[in-house]
Amino acid sequence: MESLILAKNKLPELIKRIQSKYLLFAPTKTDDITLFKPINDYKEINLEFCNSKLPPKSLLFCQTETLFKFKQGISAEVKSVDLPNSKNVIFGIRPCDSKSFTIVDSVFKDDFVDPYYMKKRENTILIGLACIKPGVNCFCTSMDGGPANSEDLDILLTDLGDKYYVEVESKKGNEIIKIGKNFFSKSSANDKTRKNEISKKAENAITRNMKTKGIVEKLDNIFENPLWKKISMKCLGCGICTYQCPTCHCFDIQDETTLYDGARVRVWDTCMNPEYTSHASGHNPRPARMNRTRNRVYHKFNYYPKNYNIIACVGCGRCINDCPVNIDIIDIINKAREVKT
Amino acid sequence: MVNLNKLREEANKIVNRDDIKYIIGWEKGTYGFQVTPFFATTSDDIDKLIFSPLCIHNLTVFPMLEEKLPMRKGAEEDTRKIGLVVKGCDSRAIIQIIQEKGLNRDDLVIIGIPCTGVIDPKKINEKFPNQTKPVNVEEYEKYFIIKINGKTHKILKEELLMNKCKQCEFPNPLVYDVLIGPEIKNKGKNIYKNIESFKKKSLKEKWEYWEKQFDKCIRCYACRNVCPMCYCEECMVDQLNPQWVRRSVNVSENTAWNIMRAFHLAGRCIDCGECERVCPAGIPLVKLNKKLEKEVIEMFDYTPGLDVEEKPLLAMFKPEDPEEFIL
Repeated sequence: MESLILAKNKLPELIKRIQSKYLLFAPTKTDDITLFKPINDYKEINLEFCNSKLPPKSLLFCQTETLFKFKQGISAEVKSVDLPNSKNVIFGIRPCDSKSFTIVDSVFKDDFVDPYYMKKRENTILIGLACIKPGVNCFCTSMDGGPANSEDLDILLTDLGDKYYVEVESKKGNEIIKIGKNFFSKSSANDKTRKNEISKKAENAITRNMKTKGIVEKLDNIFENPLWKKISMKCLGCGICTYQCPTCHCFDIQDETTLYDGARVRVWDTCMNPEYTSHASGHNPRPARMNRTRNRVYHKFNYYPKNYNIIACVGCGRCINDCPVNIDIIDIINKAREVKT
Repeated sequence: MVNLNKLREEANKIVNRDDIKYIIGWEKGTYGFQVTPFFATTSDDIDKLIFSPLCIHNLTVFPMLEEKLPMRKGAEEDTRKIGLVVKGCDSRAIIQIIQEKGLNRDDLVIIGIPCTGVIDPKKINEKFPNQTKPVNVEEYEKYFIIKINGKTHKILKEELLMNKCKQCEFPNPLVYDVLIGPEIKNKGKNIYKNIESFKKKSLKEKWEYWEKQFDKCIRCYACRNVCPMCYCEECMVDQLNPQWVRRSVNVSENTAWNIMRAFHLAGRCIDCGECERVCPAGIPLVKLNKKLEKEVIEMFDYTPGLDVEEKPLLAMFKPEDPEEFIL
């Protein structure tokens, strides 16, 4: 790992150089909502944000993606679609969201390697931006993360006021350093101390905590507990929590056709929707909202850790921020741990 | 300011009745200015029940969300009544649903709250950002009194109220079994300033505006699920055969969904504004609803959700109804 310094006034030029070789995605703000979007000009970038409304997972695991196209009828044929070849850079991604990629990679390259996601994943460089002011519902520190964690990134930038402290974490990160060679200078021990101070300050600004010790085993024993019914009674069954979750990765596959042409597309699906588990027979193994609310919690805090040895939550707090009825995953897990068995 | 003791006293009487399943009200939320829908099933729960200017949710949606699951052999359906705490606007939703025969008046026990307006979560979070600990808000004359970390803030109500509350014509519940406190005399006047000014834009401008809005939609259907009026057994967007709206999320399908949602509420929407409040994409859905509300008033002189005995707009005919659209 290498630590460098980038003067802030060099950033626009660096961005320009990156853009000459890569497709650049960065946070942009429209009507009060920040989203990661392809950037044409440096001015479109907004770095004064807590986190984006939708996680940058939407760039690699698109909400709607065509898998292949076909023609119907006598001249039926199947045409594959070209996987995007572009080299991408996601600039300004938060450490929590970059961790979510590490988490969902396990699914997309398990027994079957998903070419649509993996191709983009391999072609994408993650340039992170450390959180200086975490939001109300941020709890990454409870999930083995931190506002200035660099481990799941290729490069991490930390704002030191007039300059960025640059931590290069991978070969991919080095490619960016090479592109902007003369913009970077060596960092001093003093810079490192300042970075650590800032990161410590941000960590201390996180006030909400989720206690996850022993949660996997605990959930094994409270599947039938009335807690789940209680929580789910106020659930509306909308898809906000899952669509905004950086680790939710479920999709539905549909054939969308006109008279002769068609395409097989995949779209985000949500386990909050009854249709998600509805069988062709008409039977639904998760008939009630209670089953579905519980499933969201279990998938993240029990099934996923059992399958891949990591909790499928990064502590970004999006599901808490936008739940219309204040269903609060921190509260749920903390309460679940207190249930007597 | 609602008398909390009176609310709890009345709720306690109701929850102890044998024919009551539960009372739906509000309790304190988990952080900041959040309050949250609460189901009180016993006397012990009553102390948690609150009402404050933060109680924005239209709880009428919950009886509509009740699931009728397949029952085991010999099991009997729970036919007990539901207790419901409502503000003026929320009560209109009940009336509308009763008119449509979606609910039976006898299945509800309604606790009415004369409402002096609720706080817009966006406005209060902007004014006092990053509140982790639950904050309580009280009302005093023209002001909201907000205590944060021992410091008391006195803010003019006008600054924080939901826009709909500033022009509310129905602060008093129009249907109830018990009313908590005296009726409110000060009423607003429904105006369509935004709709009028938007109407003046060119067709192209209007289309560009809505195209940009619908492009943001992620089709989480929170607008539908939070709406007390959206209670179809199977929503048209969920149907697979025929599939009216594709699952692909693009501006074309999103437009189909959003227009469909708005049209299905024409003459039915009671303007609680919940759809717009919950939309994570920030689509101004109330603007669409208000436009249709205005059309309905101008064409049929009809306001939904006022009288249990009246018929729904689309279920009645009057000889004087306009017919210009019939060729």
